[in-house]
Amino acid sequence: MPEVRIIAKNFMDMVASMPAMKLDKLYENGFICEAILRSLPPLGKKYVLQLLHIDVPVAAKLLEEWVLPDGYTKHRVAIDRLVQLRVFVEAVDRKNDKTYKLNPTFQKSLQQLLVHGGTLPREPMPSNITVRLPNLEDLEAYALQQWECFLLQLISSSLVEKPSNISSSLMKVFQRRLLSQRDKEAPKLTESGFQFLLMETNAQLWYIIREYISNSEERGVDAADLISFMLELSFHVIGEAYNINSLTDFQRSIIRDLADLGLVKLQQGRKESWFIPTKLATNLSVSLADSSSRKELINCDVYRVEYQLPNLIVGAITKESLYNAFENGITAEQIISFLQQNAHPRVADRTPTVPENVTDQIRLWESDLNRVEMTEAYYYDEFPSRVCKLVSEMYLKVHVTLPENGTVCYGKTRRKCTWWLRPGYIHTYESIYAAKSRSKMQRPYGMVHLHPANVLWKTRKQKFALSFAPWKGNRWKKQWGHTLGHYSLLV
Amino acid sequence: MPSAPSKLYSDDVSLLVVTLDTNPFFWSTFSFPFSEFLSHVLAFLNSILLLSQLNQVVVIATGCNSCTYLYDSSSDKNHGSTTGSMPSLYSDLLHNLEVFLAGDQQLAKPRVNAAGGGAPPPSLLSGSLSMALCYIQRAFRSGPIHPQPRILCLQGSADGPEQYVAIMNSIFSAQHSTVPIDSCYIGSNNSAFLQQASYITGGIYYRPPHLDGLFQYFSTVFATDLHSRAFLRLPKSVGVDFRASCFCHKQTIDMGYVCSVCLSIFCEHHDKCSTCGSVFGQAQSNVPSSTDRKRKA
Repeated sequence: MPEVRIIAKNFMDMVASMPAMKLDKLYENGFICEAILRSLPPLGKKYVLQLLHIDVPVAAKLLEEWVLPDGYTKHRVAIDRLVQLRVFVEAVDRKNDKTYKLNPTFQKSLQQLLVHGGTLPREPMPSNITVRLPNLEDLEAYALQQWECFLLQLISSSLVEKPSNISSSLMKVFQRRLLSQRDKEAPKLTESGFQFLLMETNAQLWYIIREYISNSEERGVDAADLISFMLELSFHVIGEAYNINSLTDFQRSIIRDLADLGLVKLQQGRKESWFIPTKLATNLSVSLADSSSRKELINCDVYRVEYQLPNLIVGAITKESLYNAFENGITAEQIISFLQQNAHPRVADRTPTVPENVTDQIRLWESDLNRVEMTEAYYYDEFPSRVCKLVSEMYLKVHVTLPENGTVCYGKTRRKCTWWLRPGYIHTYESIYAAKSRSKMQRPYGMVHLHPANVLWKTRKQKFALSFAPWKGNRWKKQWGHTLGHYSLLV
Repeated sequence: MPSAPSKLYSDDVSLLVVTLDTNPFFWSTFSFPFSEFLSHVLAFLNSILLLSQLNQVVVIATGCNSCTYLYDSSSDKNHGSTTGSMPSLYSDLLHNLEVFLAGDQQLAKPRVNAAGGGAPPPSLLSGSLSMALCYIQRAFRSGPIHPQPRILCLQGSADGPEQYVAIMNSIFSAQHSTVPIDSCYIGSNNSAFLQQASYITGGIYYRPPHLDGLFQYFSTVFATDLHSRAFLRLPKSVGVDFRASCFCHKQTIDMGYVCSVCLSIFCEHHDKCSTCGSVFGQAQSNVPSSTDRKRKA
């Protein structure tokens, strides 16, 4: 089954793909530099730290000397990443050697950050103004609920009681690859849609935000500003209220969309209104996996719902439901990892979380669909007539051995001049005499030149004799064409 | 099968416990001022915290008479807000350091004055190493996934021979828990204890030649996390001073008596082992054995 993957491309990849000028402007913000530093591979981080206070270009060979031969691939990966993000500036010095230097803007911002610390452009509001501030658990519950609501609305608008304020055009953008709509039917999840649902919350968040940002250009919003605001948001403190007036107009328009996604919570006081970042927001720049329970979304396909109570759903994983799921492109591994990740805390303590009989059965049912394996074969027709006659007058079992893996497959031919061949070694047995002939054929798989003149026939039920000339070099190949390969006929 | 796999920690998340030598006797006579040293150290600690959201830094001060925790990045007691002039790490640490130094001075016993002149009293490295190891044990027990811990000793004052046994014990327990002890020694001669510590636990011992560029040495050598150390060229110690100290007088000796039960080392003959209490037999002095050899020859 072809695996269709949604690549929840990392935020940083998107940042890396921005044009150079915009990237330099982004690096003036200390927080973005910090977020980018944290996203680098470990060796990359080390190189940045080492070159942080060095103003002179450093020879690439010198950097290579720091690494042992084992780590050379990691070194290359780190350097490529650094150059791609324009953190390292590549140059060629007078001796035509490659040198690297830290991007000056990046360098300055990071040095500032180290010595002076980063300051957010806004301070949390004093607690006497902010009343009814939710505590951390409430905030997390709120964020999760908003996110679930959003996901539900994404998949099917009819299931949601109160739809969020995201405009329908924006929803359509998000749904672009996840749903397929046929004319009169309700929109149905595509394969990529299923993959999306089974991903972790963080990966899903990335996907949605990536679509949001790539769509922002069309709406006339500057992607760089959007990215810098998102990254800045990730350094705010969870649970603290920040005044909405401290945001620019542009940011204010974004914050409403973010509230619908569950990244911030908007609250209004008597005179002022504020926003509170949630955990989803602060995890924006770190790749953390957050497992949340998604009870209703995988509704019809993996299991069949038996009972539905207000806080409990009982379902049965049956063969039919799984076949349905497999047809939609979900693999057994995905189902099993979904079950593991979303297990109830009490079940999660047990090892193994999912009982072995369940996982084995799911895998067995998946392999049911893989019973027939198809391999490439050639189909030959219209042989010269004498050979046709030869073939058609008896049952020939054509054994074809594939040289690579030694499996044998065969097909019977009957009254037709076609046989399934594959370039390789072909051995043909006459079934009844196979046992007897084996003892005769001490060099059983010698190459035979199957020329009609070599074959003598008797009737079907009697023995037939075949004289054959041993294979000498490539002579026979030329006569029958290369694609037939070489073959032998055993009696 | 892993239950609820959560890749919270990448390979390079580390818990760095730094033991900072604050011995006032050493620093008052040293050429490099403590304030500059501290600024390099603080910038280095900040850079460690910058590298990953999950990195943790703990600073322990090594005084003459006591040790204390100066700063713990994961604790909730970090009050210092990030003002425009310096990060909260700095203000917290400096405040705690002042409090500690005042308290340490008060604990100074009068015996220091009685000794009069001579070598400056050593800092309590054994105490701070033990505190570091206790903290790391707590981190190990906090759950199945935790940052990789390591200890960095910033030491300037000379070794105190009376701490030999305690330091060796903490070195062996660090080796047992696979916690590398890196040491950055800025004093005049090489410190035997720290060399042994780094050698036995698999850490790095380094004596920076130029103290002006201390931050650079820190970020090049000591900022590497344990995962990356497998494929980086780091300074290797050339010669390690493995000489032991005797248990009775705490002097380093080359030849001595060893108890066969508990392996404690003595420089002169005793009747009874002071550590395990086993009784020794008759003394065999060196002189007859050499004359025996002469006779045999």
